[in-house]
Amino acid sequence: MIINNILEPKVFSVSEITRKLKSTIERNPEFTGIWLKGEIYNLTVHSSGHIYFTLKDENAVISVVFFKNANRHLKIKLEDGMSVLVFGNITFFDKRGSYQINISQLQLEGIGELQKRIEQLKAKLIKEGIFDADRKKRIPFLPKRIGVVTSPTGAAIRDIIKVALRRYPNIEIILAPAKVQGDDAPETIVRGIKELNKPEMKIDIIIAGRGGGSFEDLMPFNEEEVVMAFYTSEVPIISAVGHEIDKPLCDFAADLAAPTPSAAAEIAVPEKMDLANEINYYFSRIKNALFSYLRECNTRYENIINKRILKDPLEIIYNKELILTDIENRLVSQMKDMINNYRNRLLQIPDINILIKNILNKKSHEYNLHLNSIEQLSPLSVLKRGYSIALDGGRGVIKSIKDVNVNDKIDLQLIDGILHCTLDSIEKGGIIGKNKKQ
Amino acid sequence: MEKTKSSKTKNEKITFEDSLKKLEEIAEKLENGELGLESSINEFENGIKLAKFCHEKLEEAERKIEILQKGDSGKVKKKEIKVKEDTGELMDDEEMQGSLL
Repeated sequence: MIINNILEPKVFSVSEITRKLKSTIERNPEFTGIWLKGEIYNLTVHSSGHIYFTLKDENAVISVVFFKNANRHLKIKLEDGMSVLVFGNITFFDKRGSYQINISQLQLEGIGELQKRIEQLKAKLIKEGIFDADRKKRIPFLPKRIGVVTSPTGAAIRDIIKVALRRYPNIEIILAPAKVQGDDAPETIVRGIKELNKPEMKIDIIIAGRGGGSFEDLMPFNEEEVVMAFYTSEVPIISAVGHEIDKPLCDFAADLAAPTPSAAAEIAVPEKMDLANEINYYFSRIKNALFSYLRECNTRYENIINKRILKDPLEIIYNKELILTDIENRLVSQMKDMINNYRNRLLQIPDINILIKNILNKKSHEYNLHLNSIEQLSPLSVLKRGYSIALDGGRGVIKSIKDVNVNDKIDLQLIDGILHCTLDSIEKGGIIGKNKKQ
Repeated sequence: MEKTKSSKTKNEKITFEDSLKKLEEIAEKLENGELGLESSINEFENGIKLAKFCHEKLEEAERKIEILQKGDSGKVKKKEIKVKEDTGELMDDEEMQGSLL
């Protein structure tokens, strides 16, 4: 007997196993983001807006839940028995112990084939680098002429014209009419793009597209020849296909993709008014900046030019002249004063002639006085007064009686002559007082 | 498939967009006030020329709406579409018909 080592079996709880199942299923990438094909069965459209049905094939069924916020894009009315493709994630509902697929997209099956074709083409083109970003051209800023490839009878062209003219009233638009749905459409679209690419057309930007429609309606814009026409367009091209969810392939090949034709027109055509205003805005800034700069220069200039020295450079000289004149005048005036002073002083000096005369007079007077005195003292005057000079024989003056004897012959000089006398007698004293000593 | 990245060569040496940019540069230069008097006046004159050029460029387009049609000889010709002045609506819906093929 072989003893087997049997491991103790683990006992799970219902919750635990449920949790495991849930985790395994929901985290598995094989069950997320998958497409399922099947037939609708037991369709329920709930009042809440949520849609529930069973998807079945011959051998199995799976519950489908299509929530309101996911199914609002749904354009078709679902019915039991419809063959559909659904896209979503498998989820595990623990409370019921059941699984379902929670879908975000639903399509009729026919479309599935188309979808596949598109996916394959997309992959191929990506590989070839058709969608590469660096191969895209820049959309010109100010186009003069817009080329449009779309149906002449659709709303797209009318919207484009309206929007374009509103933004830029004098823009030129050329429509290359094409069919935008149906099997014969792609050819016309390609023709339109090629025609607008001709140099003589002088197109600046091409807008190619159509208004919204169903998936099949939009198919022409997924066809390879159309996508390549977008890619090879020398003129910058904007894809303008109104689509709901899936972008048509031409969006990836175009130089720019717009969600609608109107949006494309808004991208392609600038607002003329805005541009004109912008020009004027910059220009008025330029004008104002220059004028204020000129004003500043002018002020600086005025400040300098108005400096007195520049206005009247001779003023310095005038000033100096004034000073000079003033000094001159003062000088002259002072000189005059001085001269007057001296003159006055001179004038005050008594006339020298008079002075001399006075002195002479005085001296003369003195002289006369002296002369008089002398004269007075002069024997002549004595003689004049009656005195006489007694002279002896030798003509010496007899001063005393002692000098003579009686009978001497003396001369008496009188004023007018001499008396020859002989002394008779001598008397001591005579008329002169007897008291007087001799 | 090789695609040559060619841009449409324009006859004008300078585009509207470049002119507008240059205009803004001139405005900034003058506002900075670091140019001398002569340069400032020069730039001002350039500004006048550029503004004039820009306005002229805006008026170059001639407001023509046309549809291409296949003529009898097989040649493609243009036919003018009349549009309402104010709303941009087509005057005559009948004019818009056909395709190029």
